[in-house]
Amino acid sequence: MKTTTAIASLALFLGVSGPSLAADLVFTSWGGTTQDVQKSAWADKFTAAAGVKVLQDGPTDYGKIKAMVEAKGVTWDVVDVEGDYAIQAGDKGLLEKLDFSVIDKTALDPRFVTDYSVGSFYYSFVIGCNKDAVKACPMSWADLFDTAKFPGKRTFYKWSAPGVIEAALLADGVPADKLYPLDLDRAFKKLDTIKADIVWWSGGAQSQQLLASAEAPFGSFWNGRLTALAATGVNVETSWAQNITAADALVVPKGTKNKEAAMKFIAYAASPEGQAEMAAGTGYAPTNVKSPALMDPAIAKTLPDQQTASQINADMAYWAKNRDEIGERWYAWQAK
Amino acid sequence: MVSTLEPQAKIEMARKRRLLPQGMGATLPALILVLVFFVLPVVALLTRSFTEPVTGLQNYVELLGSSTYLKIFFNTFFVSALVTVISLLVGFPVAWALAIMPQRGANIVFGIVLLSMWTNLLARTYAWMVLLQRTGVINKTLMSLGIIDTPLVMVNNLVGVTVGMTYIMLPFIIIPLYGVIRKIDPMILQAAALCGATRWQAFRAVLLPLAMPGIASGALMVFVMSLGYFVTPALLGGTANMMLAELIAQFVQSLVNWGMGGAAALVLLIVTLSLYALQLRLFNAAGQGRA
Repeated sequence: MKTTTAIASLALFLGVSGPSLAADLVFTSWGGTTQDVQKSAWADKFTAAAGVKVLQDGPTDYGKIKAMVEAKGVTWDVVDVEGDYAIQAGDKGLLEKLDFSVIDKTALDPRFVTDYSVGSFYYSFVIGCNKDAVKACPMSWADLFDTAKFPGKRTFYKWSAPGVIEAALLADGVPADKLYPLDLDRAFKKLDTIKADIVWWSGGAQSQQLLASAEAPFGSFWNGRLTALAATGVNVETSWAQNITAADALVVPKGTKNKEAAMKFIAYAASPEGQAEMAAGTGYAPTNVKSPALMDPAIAKTLPDQQTASQINADMAYWAKNRDEIGERWYAWQAK
Repeated sequence: MVSTLEPQAKIEMARKRRLLPQGMGATLPALILVLVFFVLPVVALLTRSFTEPVTGLQNYVELLGSSTYLKIFFNTFFVSALVTVISLLVGFPVAWALAIMPQRGANIVFGIVLLSMWTNLLARTYAWMVLLQRTGVINKTLMSLGIIDTPLVMVNNLVGVTVGMTYIMLPFIIIPLYGVIRKIDPMILQAAALCGATRWQAFRAVLLPLAMPGIASGALMVFVMSLGYFVTPALLGGTANMMLAELIAQFVQSLVNWGMGGAAALVLLIVTLSLYALQLRLFNAAGQGRA
């Protein structure tokens, strides 16, 4: 109890002396090129339209969100988080309910809308390959897990999140409609078979570096990072077979002083225009179904929302319920 | 000589003892700042290790009872010890050379050592990544010279962490060693030679004991800093070489399990403070022995 008071008074002190004025909105995301586009596509436009200055902060840190809400000193008004975290945090009472009289959700992809969050953008985990570095490229998850047919290092996302476990199960022959609930024992057993050949990437820039240098000539990537890498002249092959989608979400931490402005900001970010510009800038897909019509068709057809043939949606509700348990097991397995 | 110095030293010490309480008033704002911004948050996190999710020692039971976490503890100490030993082996000759070099040359070498220290840590770590990776400069050179056929694996494993961390820790061992070695009178080594000592004997029986305070303080500093290191192991090491700081970051940031995070942090803190206490004790004993 005492410690909570101490943190609260500390946060209060920080809040009072901090540089941000109450009228300014603070938007927090993961940094890098994605946040650059979020700034230009959403924040700058929103400032011009609504006259509210938007300050950028980052990177997103779930520990910080919890600390701010508990200490009643919320300084982040709108935060870009992972989709499964958004569901879990909403259930745990860490988030404000979104005001759907301000945010128009009629055109929003319902896969990514909850009471507490709307989709920020969505991406696919796809199979990427550096064509100049190898003779043949793996075209399915089974190929990527086949070290006899495709020898060498392969790279996967390091953190516990939807994507890699699903890929392991698909590679092991689990039918797409039988993925959930995830058979973790089976997934880790499959992952064990390639563990010595895995190089982990912890961020988008690192994944690009690994692929471009052929340190790992193939692996599982966020689709947008491959598009960006191909644009720099690297000979990238992308396989969309059984691409696994997951989304980021926009949320409002509970207790923010700028709730009204936060809702307006999200309304703009989720609008057809906001989503279209975001998608064009990042290579990720818009979560507003009216956005593709506003986009350059040449760009629109490279996005995950055009790759639905064998697309698999990571089950965010399942992940939200099990993310702590999976996380602990995941990191323990990695360190073993 | 010694007997005349001693009373002076005592007076000096007594003066210092008086000064401390008198000067305290001025340091009060700084102390409060440290207390509020540093001590309180740390205590708050550590307290959670005993109260989350319920009051008790369950976090410590889980932490110390799991083979995975014990392996991470072992990794942390192993890597830190390895980095300390290699830093000493590389740093000692550099410090020795610096001490006996003409001043101008020493300044240049010192500048190089310090300059590397002032360069951004991430930039330096990425630079190592580029050098060490399979398609990196080192592998390409060795392969084009025909020395190796297949690239050596030097990143995402123990080699990468050790090389990267040793490079970063070197200045912290060179500087204290240089300070100590420079104060050693070269005549003593000459005297040893005159008395018939071989070079190796002079080094082992004369130089090494005299340099011991520098070796001890440098080694401990490197060891303790390595224990809590985060960036370099995360980028140059594989997940199989995970160290404690990474585990704490995972608990606090992605798993939002502050109970376990606090427990791991407290174990690290206790180990670090114990080592520090040990060093103080050894040092004081050594210092008194010489006086």
